[in-house]
Amino acid sequence: MLATLLSATLVALDGRVIRVEVDVAPGLPGFTIVGLGDASIREARERVRGALRNAGFVHPPRRITVNLAPADVPKTGSAADLAIAIGILIGSEQFTPRAGRAALIGEVSLGGEIRPVPGLLPMVAALARRSVRRVIVPADGADEARLVDGLEVVPAATLVEAVDALRSRRRAAPTRPARVELAPAAAASAGRPGPALAPPLPPPDLADVRGQVEARRALEVALAGGHGLLMIGPPGTGKTMLARTIPKLLPPLSDADSLSATIVASASGEGPIHALVRTPPFRAPHHTSSYAAIVGGGPRLAPGEVTRADNGVLFLDELAEFSRDVLEALRQPLEDGRVSIVRAAGAVTLPARFQLVAATNPCPCGHAGEDDRCICGESVPARYVGRISGPLRDRIDVWVTLARIRAAVMFDDAEPESSDVVGARIAAARALQQARPGGKLNSRIGSRGLRAVARLRPVTRDRLSELADAERLSGRGTERLLRVARTVADLAGADAVEVEHLEEAARWRPPSSRPVMALAV
Amino acid sequence: MLGVGVGPDGLDGGGRLPGGTADAVPMAPLREQDREALAVLLSVNGLGPLTLGRLVDRLGSPAAILETAAGIGGRDALVEGSRAAEGEWRAIPLALADAIVTAAADRAKLLDQVTGSGLRVVARGDAEYPPRLNAIDIPPPALFVRGSLLSLTVARVVAVVGTRRPSPAGRRIASRIAAALSRAGATVVSGLAIGIDGAAHAACVSEGVPTVAFIGGGHARLFPRAHDRLADAIVDGGGAVVSEYAPMVEPSKGTFPQRNRLISGSSDGVVVVEAGARSGALVTASWALEQGRECFIVPGSIDAPTSDGCNGFLRDWHGLARIVSGVPQLLDDLGLAAAAGLPAPLGSNATRRQTAVGKEVAVRSTVELPSAKAVLSGRDPAQLAVAEALVHGAVTVDELVAVTRLSVGAVLGALTRLEASGLARPIHGRYEPVGPLAAADPRAA
Ligand SMILES: Nc1ncnc2c1ncn2[C@@H]1O[C@H](COP(=O)(O)OP(=O)(O)OP(=O)(O)O)[C@@H](O)[C@H]1O
Ligand SMILES: [Mg+2]
Repeated sequence: MLATLLSATLVALDGRVIRVEVDVAPGLPGFTIVGLGDASIREARERVRGALRNAGFVHPPRRITVNLAPADVPKTGSAADLAIAIGILIGSEQFTPRAGRAALIGEVSLGGEIRPVPGLLPMVAALARRSVRRVIVPADGADEARLVDGLEVVPAATLVEAVDALRSRRRAAPTRPARVELAPAAAASAGRPGPALAPPLPPPDLADVRGQVEARRALEVALAGGHGLLMIGPPGTGKTMLARTIPKLLPPLSDADSLSATIVASASGEGPIHALVRTPPFRAPHHTSSYAAIVGGGPRLAPGEVTRADNGVLFLDELAEFSRDVLEALRQPLEDGRVSIVRAAGAVTLPARFQLVAATNPCPCGHAGEDDRCICGESVPARYVGRISGPLRDRIDVWVTLARIRAAVMFDDAEPESSDVVGARIAAARALQQARPGGKLNSRIGSRGLRAVARLRPVTRDRLSELADAERLSGRGTERLLRVARTVADLAGADAVEVEHLEEAARWRPPSSRPVMALAV
Repeated sequence: MLGVGVGPDGLDGGGRLPGGTADAVPMAPLREQDREALAVLLSVNGLGPLTLGRLVDRLGSPAAILETAAGIGGRDALVEGSRAAEGEWRAIPLALADAIVTAAADRAKLLDQVTGSGLRVVARGDAEYPPRLNAIDIPPPALFVRGSLLSLTVARVVAVVGTRRPSPAGRRIASRIAAALSRAGATVVSGLAIGIDGAAHAACVSEGVPTVAFIGGGHARLFPRAHDRLADAIVDGGGAVVSEYAPMVEPSKGTFPQRNRLISGSSDGVVVVEAGARSGALVTASWALEQGRECFIVPGSIDAPTSDGCNGFLRDWHGLARIVSGVPQLLDDLGLAAAAGLPAPLGSNATRRQTAVGKEVAVRSTVELPSAKAVLSGRDPAQLAVAEALVHGAVTVDELVAVTRLSVGAVLGALTRLEASGLARPIHGRYEPVGPLAAADPRAA
């Protein structure tokens, strides 16, 4: 008998509805799956066979043919397992479902449990767009699936529960209480393989960071305008610590951004999602991460770190240690906020509008500028930072160099500003930017728009060209100066960019755009 | 061996230059063909000043050497000619004779390298040849000069040298000493290295007075490249960049110590500002003692690696090397503190100790470095506050904010204004005064 069910598959970040046709016919026992499935789909045979047997059903000794349609959609992953298993049960008449169109998404285990799959949210959304009224999902994914309006979500933890749900119209009780806190996209990645874990410690508060007022201010300015930030400094000066304060400093995502962040989180399979992701993602891939892990790709077109940092921050600690290929590959996303992944089957383009934050030592030994401790040659530090910044230099607006702080500063009584205080200023500055026509952050405004929002008075304009001349800035350098100055002005709540804002912004330019004002080094 | 003639009191009461007392034989002015021949011969690898001097003695003149080399059987003629009649000297090796023959053949090209890079050859006997160099053990037969050496004929020439990796304080001290020396009428020489050397030269350039840099390789191999602009500024400012090597000679481990003997040898005294345990600046200091020049060492904390070498040198050469206890005291010890006019003769330690008190009074009335306030007159209060904190040694924005009590933004803005006018600059996350501000006296009100 032929059974036809609906399921879905994930293509990059998009869900696609597929039809699972299962024919259980008399003949030599066999199990064939046709229809552009990848290796993991072919493995479904083994999982389904075991699941049926161990859940107390019969794997019928007949000729089983599974067709996944439409044929032109590439199917990957294990999301169709459940539909295949149920199709076999219906096709071999082990149970009869009630009428009504239900779709099924989930991986089955050999023991008959239903496991979560990456991309549940976009897959359920695709089903909803096709007017599916009811979907059976892994119990762990119920909250995630319910983020989609307009269809009934039935969680099932095992194959037996799924069969029950299809037999009756009874609404299954949630197998465990849904948690409603806002889950940060990066927080729940423990246990998954892959190097791209956010630091496991709780993020520090800015009040814990002593001294380093210059770097703190640079961080504040960078976050307020979405500017790329590079922190250069010897070991143990607090670069990583400062970066790790970022998640608490950024305002929550807007509704639209939140939805796309949640979709990315879902497609990356970071673990159960219980609510829309409201916290901007903070991704901190290790410098040993592979090219595919950073850029994205692989057989399942998994989103890479650049996409997972979309709408948030990509933090590259020890920037100089990343491979040249990876750094080169960041150029495109930094230019147009998207990343193209080229595969044999063609290219897909994924969103990658992240803010880049990076940290590096000033030289290979890390101690340049620290009296006699640096063991590198004299010209090494300049070349070291120059090499890493090559592909990224134009995309990093804010550069800051940290020096070791005095022990006295570490232990004095002055309480530094907390993340709440600084975060409030950042949020206010961002709100000002978003209230302008276009609503873009300063880092993303084009040159024409920038001139309009800068509102330079003649005296300020003169000072800008003086500074640009004194520093021998290129056109791009001048624009970068004005862009950062606009953010400094926003932090001050100022309507127009004033001289003082320009002069502060001038501190954040890259070291080598500096002419040798002093003759001697 | 000690240099001939010039001891600590090498200048006699009449203020005669050491060159006058040494090698008393006045030298005949050099013929043009000899000057050219010297330029060619100095580019021969392995032909040092000693051998060259011997050849000149035997064959008559540099031009004669080249003629011999260019003649038929030039190599053998050179070898024969270099043999002394009494057989006291060994003849020059064949390989060297070959090299001279090759150079003679390449004469045009070699001369081109000199004139092409705008260099002049200043030889012993020329009026411009640094008089003090005549008095050292093995004076270079000629110097390749960009700029003018006339500033080395003034009454007082002082070398300021030190480590290539100074502390911010060391850099400031070097600037201040160089500026004070310049204002007192002395010419500062150094080695154009990054660090202390560069700070000393740059201070003179910003004072608008000539300074002379001796480099450790040929001019076409100027090193470090980071100081290309400084070298240009030195030449434009009436000073000179000088090498005893032909333009194409690579600087090497061996050339720098040899160059150091010129830095000390061309001056009356050497000041070492900061030097790590094995710093080349200590080589210059040792040369100074050997050549009978005054040797001044800026002491440092026993914990400061940048002063290890200085403190060690003071200990090892107790009684010979002298401590710099302050800029006015240094000027005093160099005889630069007396009222305007000719500097007083350098005295021995004993007389100085007796007169130290009396002289200190004199110091205050003469060379005075401006205060930060004076350098910054007419600028806004934030710049003034930041600049004063900078000359007092506050180096990070943390410290500047703490000292000035200005907001972070105000400090950053003031730093931008100071940097744009060449008074401060960032380096490795710290800030330091440069130009006139580096020379400002932190104790002046
Ligand atoms: N400014 C600071 N205030 C408070 N603690 C600090 C500061 N700087 C460093 N620390 C302490 O030192 C530890 C190491 O700092 P951090 O990891 O941020 O250094 P880093 O600059 O990233 O060094 P590296 O170059 O080695 O990566 C921090 O976890 C913190 O405990
Ligand atoms: Mg770190």
